Formats: sequence, C-alpha cells, structure tokens
Amino acid sequence: VSFREPAWRVVTRELESSLEEEKGPGERAASHVLSPFGSRMNRVLLAGILSPAESIGRDESQPFWRARLADPTGAVAVTAGTYQPRAMAQLRSSDASRSALVVGRVHLYRGRDRVSYLSVRAESLRSLGEGEERAALADAVRHTLDRLDLIARLEGDPGISDEALVSEGIPRGWVSAARESIRRYPEADRAQFRHELRAAVRRVSGIALPEEAPELPATVRRRRDAPLPVRPPPSAAERAEESLLLEFLDQVAESSLDAYADRRELLARVGSRGLGSDRAEEVLSRLEEEGVVDEPIVGKLRRA
Amino acid sequence: VRLRDLRPADGPVEFVARVVTCERREITRKSDGSRRPLVSGLLSDGTGTVRFTWWDPPREGVERGLVIRVVGPEVSEYRSRTEVSFTWRTRVGPASVAELPAVDPADVPEKVVRDLHLPDEGFRVSVRVVRIVERAVSVGEERRVVYDGLVADGTGSIALSAWTDFGLRAGETVEIVGGYLRAFRGITQLVLDERATVRRIQRPDLPDVAAVLSAPPLSMARVEEAGGGAAVSVEGLVVGLLPPSGLVYRCPQCRRGVQGGTCRVHGRVEGVADLRARIVLDDGTGAVTVNAGRVETERLWGVTLDAVRARLRASPDPSVLEGELLDALLGRRLRVRGPASMDDFGVTIQPDSVESVDVDLDATAERLAARLGGGRA
Repeated sequence: VSFREPAWRVVTRELESSLEEEKGPGERAASHVLSPFGSRMNRVLLAGILSPAESIGRDESQPFWRARLADPTGAVAVTAGTYQPRAMAQLRSSDASRSALVVGRVHLYRGRDRVSYLSVRAESLRSLGEGEERAALADAVRHTLDRLDLIARLEGDPGISDEALVSEGIPRGWVSAARESIRRYPEADRAQFRHELRAAVRRVSGIALPEEAPELPATVRRRRDAPLPVRPPPSAAERAEESLLLEFLDQVAESSLDAYADRRELLARVGSRGLGSDRAEEVLSRLEEEGVVDEPIVGKLRRA
Repeated sequence: VRLRDLRPADGPVEFVARVVTCERREITRKSDGSRRPLVSGLLSDGTGTVRFTWWDPPREGVERGLVIRVVGPEVSEYRSRTEVSFTWRTRVGPASVAELPAVDPADVPEKVVRDLHLPDEGFRVSVRVVRIVERAVSVGEERRVVYDGLVADGTGSIALSAWTDFGLRAGETVEIVGGYLRAFRGITQLVLDERATVRRIQRPDLPDVAAVLSAPPLSMARVEEAGGGAAVSVEGLVVGLLPPSGLVYRCPQCRRGVQGGTCRVHGRVEGVADLRARIVLDDGTGAVTVNAGRVETERLWGVTLDAVRARLRASPDPSVLEGELLDALLGRRLRVRGPASMDDFGVTIQPDSVESVDVDLDATAERLAARLGGGRA
C-alpha cells in the first residue's frame, strides 16, 4: 500500500543540507531525499519569497523555468516545465518578488564534480498574503522542532521501540526517517541548525522583513556542510565489472537507432557474460552516481 | 457451545445462532462446470459472531433473523477469525429464540471505544450517544428502519447502527451489551440487533456531545495509522484537487456521476448539474481526500452553481473553471470533521463540516520562540 506522499513542512536550510537520496525498489518507486534533520522527503511544502522566474530551457518546444524561493534560513531553486503547466504559468506570472507557497517534488542531482544540486519541481504554486506565508513558515518550524526533538530522543535512547513512539502520536514515517538521519549523517550539526531556526521564528512574529534577506543569484548553490560519505575505492573485480558494463553499453548504444542503450537489453547482454542483473544494477547505479553513465529517459542509458 | 468459545478442531460441536446478514451466491465448479449454490454471511448468538458458508442451502432460502441449530459444522480459522461452513455432513434445522444462549452482562468484558477493533465481539461499552438519526433502508424486498449515529467515550468515538429501536436519544449515556463490529464503507461500525441490550446509566464523566464534536484535530499520520474513524477531525492546507472537481453532472435518480450522458446504473439520463470538490488536504504528516459537496464547495469558492453555469454559457471551457476552483482553494487552511474511511489510496473524509482556520501568529511565534529558547540551541 502506498499512499500519497505527504508534503513535508521544511525550511529551505534543511533542503540545502540534504545530500542523501533513497531510491525505492522497482522502476516506478518514489525516490526520497533524506535530510540530516529527520525528513525523508519526496514532496515538500515551502513558503517564502519567490524571485522572478528565468527561463532555463534550451529547447523552445520544452520550456523550463526556474525561480528562487528564499526564507529566513536559506533558499532553494524552484522549477517548472511543460509537465506542470499550471505551476509554470504561476511561476512566470510575476516580474517582482512576492510571498508564495510552493508544493513540489524534491530533486537531488549530483553532478560529475560530486556537488549536489537540490531543486523543487513545483506541482502547484500560489502567491500568498503575508499572514499566510508566516503561518506556513510557523508550521515548518514547528514540525522541524518536533523532528529535532525526536532525533534527540532517539540519540538518547536508541533502544526505544517504534511502537512506543507511534502510540504517542508521532508519525511512523518520522520515526524511521529520524533513525536513518542519525545513521547517515553522523556528523550533522543539529544544534547549529536549531539556532538558525531563530531567524524563521522572527519572521513568524513579523519582525524580520523579507527584504532584509540578501538577494542571491537565482541559481542553486553549493552544499556547505555534511561531507559526502567516503566510499572505499573500487576493487579490481569491481573495476572489471564496470568496464564490462561500459563496453556493452557502447555496443548496445551504437547498434540502436536513438544512440541510447536500452537498459533491459544491456542487462541481458551482460547477463550472458556472467554479470547477474542484481549485480549489474548495482554497478550501474554506482556508475550513474559517479556521473559516468546517465539515464535521461527511463530505461535509456548513455555515457554522461 | 457459545460462539465466542468456538474454536477449530474442537471435535463435533453444536450451537444455536441467529443469521445476522446473508447473501446467496453460486459457485461454478472447475471440474465439470456445474453450479453450486451457497449462502454466506454472519451468525450471532449474543456472545460472539462468526462468518458462515452454507453449501447447498434450503431451496426456500435463508432469511435474516432466522434462528438455526447447527450440528457438526466444519470450523476453521481465516485471518485469525473463526469461520464455520455447513456441508453435507452438517445438520441445520430451525430453532427458537429461547434456545439462544443467555447473555449475562456481567459475563462479557467491559471495553473502551479505542480498543474496539474488528473482529471484536462479546463486549460491553459505556458511551455517550452523540447523535442518532432514523434512516429507511431496503434490504432486498424488505423496507426497514435503522438508527444511525455516533457514540463516544473518553477514548474515542465509533459509528453506531441499530437495527432495532432502542429509543436512543442524543446526549444520554448508555451501556451497550451484545453489539458486534463490522466494516461499512471502510468505517468500523458498532451494530446492535435484536440480541443487543441497552441500559440507561448515569455517567456524567463521559464527555458531552459538544466536547466530542469539538475535539482537537488529529495528525493525518494518526488517522492513517487508525485506518480512519467515524468522527475524525483534521487540519491542513489544500495542496491540490482530484478529478472530478468543479461542475459535475449527476444521475437524477441515484446521484451517481454521469459520463457521456450515461449513468452506470440507469443508462441514458439527463444529468443534473452539481458542484463538488475533491480536495487533497495535507498536514505534513499525511494527506487525506475531502469530498466536499455543493454547499461546502460554493462556500469555499465563493461562487454558486448558478454563477458557474452562467459563466459556462459565456465561455464553454470547464477546465478553466476547475483551474479557478483550484486557485481559490490552493493553500487554504481548513479544518475538516467527518467520517474517514481508508482504502488502498489513503484516507477519504465525507465532511460533516469544513471550516477555514485563522492562525494566531503572535501566540504561535511566542510558543516557537519558547521552544527554541528552552532547547539545546
């Protein structure tokens, strides 16, 4: 059973700090971005000041727009394309900065330079009154504090059962996300983050004016904290698997009409050479993560 | 034996019980394609209920309310619930109500509403009647009156469906013995039939009607965890609409949606215009679908059905209207109360009330500041 993904209430600083991704099993499974502060996000709801949008589409028939949503803790790129026509129209509808609410899907893109770029693909977007913006920000801060408290509890008492926490009314998804955050971000500075929430609370109380936030260029910025987990260098055997896979990828791509290598065909070919599909998937995802291979269309692979 | 003591592999058993619900079907044999009739449903003897399957039932049919004596049924267990089936080895005959086992109220355990879960039975609860309405239904050919309502104690509330008039009135406190639970349209109901007894009690400690109806909202994660509920209150922001929302056409006879001028049940009909909004409400812990009807939709949108139809005559593009409705609703903070059911797609609420919520920003900011100050920061 998979219900609709809830729109996590987060401040932009939490998104800026999120570097870990979880891909579910299967082709259509939802992917989630895991934050150091206890969120496992597929969808988020953000409130803040939205900058005017800029076009970043390279192809006129495939318009793609990007704007920047800032709250007192940071900023995040918000995008919309042809598959989100209403959100795109809303994104383009203003030449001035304005209070806005954004509901969208979190995308984490890791470039070849190992820098992560996080953006939110807007599903729906609306201009807000100041009161509504502050109220939505208040929700985000409240939930964030609840999640930080949960992490602190789990750190203090790792043995406490999920059921005990759920029976107190804590969402089950929060408990597992918090445990995973602790595991994946052992170095995260949660006290510092907690401190940064003060700026958001000042905004909730109406003190800090949005104009005071420094204007940054409408592009995503480099992640600042939480270094990438260091992976042991691949063994000789893994190297051999990688080169086998890449060799066949080139072969399959060459013989195909669209110059992409069909994923299934590739797996079948390497399978005949003794690389099982589970293992091959693992190697493939490592290559994708390292930016050697990418999958611009589901099921179609190419060299990056 | 009493049904609550019935267990598989007890050896030959005999019991007397009443047919609470029944349905006739035919099963086609795989081997030779012949058809074999069966009646299945629920049996109760006041101490418990079991599902039954009656192979080759009597030709004159099986009716609700029939009291039967069963000798030598097959007793099995399915999903940790006892079931019985009557085969050629089983003898089934009529019995009288007097032969049903006596139910001593002191004999059944007291439960609180929160602990009532399917397939519980043979319990006793003390509750406040929150509301009760008379409703006429047809069961097959028969016209009957049921009394639908909501009862609650300090731990929660549950829907009630009484098939006998116990003279229940909203506001009174009662002890109910011999009810059983069933799922109706995804919501767990406490069902009272002729075997149940209702006794007026003095329990001023039970929450009063107003307190039950104004209970603070639950997190949507919690509602999902509980699998819905008879009287749920949630609060969240509108994050989207599901089709069909906006102007819809309904069958004049059954109010089902009309598609391409055709009702699923009544064929070609002249659809009657109506407004509705299937609102996706999200509180950050989960999401629910709120099926708002015409009255709520008009109020939230600020546009009446007549205005919508007039506008449609001027610019005949219904998708524009749906877009306007979304613009009017998106981001709105709503508190919704009503029965919540759950299926594979999540929780759906048929709202009794939908209210806009204003946030006290100063108080909220103060609370948050206090939490930050008092924390580890």
